[in-house]
Amino acid sequence: MSEPVLSVEGLSVDYTVGAGTYHALKDVSFEAQPGRVVGIVGETGCGKSTLAHAIPRLLPEPPAKILRGKVIFQGVDLLKVPKWRIPMVRGTNIGMIFQEPINSLNPAYRIFDQVAESVRIRRLRESGKVAVFRPGGAGFDYSRPRPPDRSTAIAHPFVPSIPPGPDPIRVDPTDGGKGRSVRSEVLDYLRLVRINDPETVLRLFPHELSGGMRQRIMIAMALSERPSLLIADEPTSALDVTIQAQVLTLMKELMDELRTSILFISHDLGVIAETADDVGVMYAGHLVEFGPVVDVFEAPRHPYTKALLRSIPTRYKTDGPLPSLTGNVPNLSRLPSGCTFSPRCALAQDDCRVDPGPALAGWVARPPGRTNSAACFHTEGVEGLP
Amino acid sequence: MDSRRSTRGDDLPLERFVRSEKGSDPEPPLLTTPPRRRGAVAETVRTVWLVMRANPLTLLGFLVVVVMVVTALVVGLTPILTHLLLGHSLSATPYPVNSFSTSDASQGPSPRHWMGTDSIGTDIFSQVLAALPLDLVIAFSVAGIALVAGGTLGIIAGYFDTPGTLGGAGATIILRVTDVFLAFPSLVLALAVAASLGRGTEAAVIALLVTWWPYYVRLARGEVLAVRHLPYITAARAAGVTDGTILGRHVLRNILEPLVVYYTLDVGTVLVTFSTISYVGIGVPFGVPEWGNMIEQYAGYLATLPWTVVGPGLAVFVTVLGFSLLGDGLRDILDPRSRRILSQGPAVDSTSAAPIAAPAAGEKA
Repeated sequence: MSEPVLSVEGLSVDYTVGAGTYHALKDVSFEAQPGRVVGIVGETGCGKSTLAHAIPRLLPEPPAKILRGKVIFQGVDLLKVPKWRIPMVRGTNIGMIFQEPINSLNPAYRIFDQVAESVRIRRLRESGKVAVFRPGGAGFDYSRPRPPDRSTAIAHPFVPSIPPGPDPIRVDPTDGGKGRSVRSEVLDYLRLVRINDPETVLRLFPHELSGGMRQRIMIAMALSERPSLLIADEPTSALDVTIQAQVLTLMKELMDELRTSILFISHDLGVIAETADDVGVMYAGHLVEFGPVVDVFEAPRHPYTKALLRSIPTRYKTDGPLPSLTGNVPNLSRLPSGCTFSPRCALAQDDCRVDPGPALAGWVARPPGRTNSAACFHTEGVEGLP
Repeated sequence: MDSRRSTRGDDLPLERFVRSEKGSDPEPPLLTTPPRRRGAVAETVRTVWLVMRANPLTLLGFLVVVVMVVTALVVGLTPILTHLLLGHSLSATPYPVNSFSTSDASQGPSPRHWMGTDSIGTDIFSQVLAALPLDLVIAFSVAGIALVAGGTLGIIAGYFDTPGTLGGAGATIILRVTDVFLAFPSLVLALAVAASLGRGTEAAVIALLVTWWPYYVRLARGEVLAVRHLPYITAARAAGVTDGTILGRHVLRNILEPLVVYYTLDVGTVLVTFSTISYVGIGVPFGVPEWGNMIEQYAGYLATLPWTVVGPGLAVFVTVLGFSLLGDGLRDILDPRSRRILSQGPAVDSTSAAPIAAPAAGEKA
């Protein structure tokens, strides 16, 4: 396997609110390979959004506090990067799409100004006029990049393949801002996210657009900076079902076209199943299972994953209550000793209640033919669960 | 979609559906309004007009302020311009401010003397006019300096208030100093400062400045705190926008509206306070035409020549009323939501209409 774009190692985050300390993330480790979509799934409050915000260091500190761990992005630990340099990483290296399209656009500016801001940030960084954050052989180089040499420019990982059609999307990464107006580029990105009549939309204010349109604009803004990693924090959750389907279809099409690495966070198992290549399942701040989406969904190795999948209603069920998991998610300020899932787990034994269980990275040898790993002592018993 | 299209021809109603679906491909029109081909300036003018039409009092306030400002310019600039052009100063007031004539003394309002005359025959209306430039300039500039200085400090204190950082320490210092100033009633503090500096226009202005800025610190900080954790600020940070740009572009633009509205209303308050300082006798030197000064000067004639006090009092009243009405209207003009309601009728978009509809539903229940 090639070098991962993103590698999170043992990341732990606490929130201190009043006298209580909430362990939002505990020893989370996973890798995102280039060009793959990594899904993170879990219930509300399990730490998904904290994880998404911790990677580009967007967590408000305080109340949040990153206790330990590494966030290695293209070979550099972002947690060790000085805080004032972090804005160089955001946008053009790590892009982000948020949960609330309603409030994620500045209400005071027209759509054009907002998308153009992203385009201009990228152009400024490409132009060689400002210091940028660039992957290099030995760590990162914060110096100014050389002005783009058009003759030898290599294809950017984020070049959308041009779909055949009457109006091909022309996004030329080697252009470096010369020759094309910001406006035409903004229009291209709006077309890229399938907006009808982008000329009109450019002139509108965010409150004049629907939620689905706003989320498309957000996606266009994130893409216009051509990030090598895109973090999508529940991009469809705040939308109603039909719009959700539209946006999801768009994202899936874009994923196929753009072949970028994406961290896709959702509470919806169906969405993850449709979009992700790899999936991580989170429970109470822990990553309990991680592996290719087919393996995890077809043959889960953690009892929580199994229970989560079982709770999806099927169309064949006509009577009786839906299967559900007994008990509640533990209070994050008072986690049970040992495995956090043990109080609700059918397989839990004495060792589970004492030992916190194996952390996900580099433990439990994966049995031959199995590629998903689970933070559980009793993975062999999971298959037998109802 | 292709498979569905292949069924067309069998069934007319179905075909109609397929066609309509094809027409809206790839998504139904999500715009709430038909596109408006109008420039930004024309749109603003239109918004201003719509707000004025919906609320005639705003128009009244606007007119009062415009008339006041234009008159002040004419009165203030006429002596200077005529001195430059003609070699000798002319006054824009109907009668010289310092003139007296026994034949005109102690007259009530009349076509000759709109606001009457005092006991030595000086025209009250001329004095009120002559005071206008001074009063307006001081009101605008004191509130303006307080807006810029206090607003800047408030934005810094609001945005960089993370404890344990340099900015956090700065924010704490700014806020504690502000608290010290806010601990005193503003009028008492202004009077104390003005009194300690001695009588004079500069002393009164300094006293007002010392008193005025802390309110803007509080207001700006509160607004920044409300805005800075909103998703669009986080989104801008995630897009790689630096703190300076976020403050100057994203935060400032969104807190400007309450600040500008407060400023407009505040101009009137400064005017009243400035007049009060003069009225108490520690502001503008005796003899300089100023509304508060005039009221002080003629207070003794309240029983015998009431119009001498009514003239300057009315001037203060009308000016403050004008700014208050304008400020209220400005709030409507600057709010994008009311702008949409005024210009396009009720919103069609369910998501953005929700916050407006919710309170109404709550009242019914």
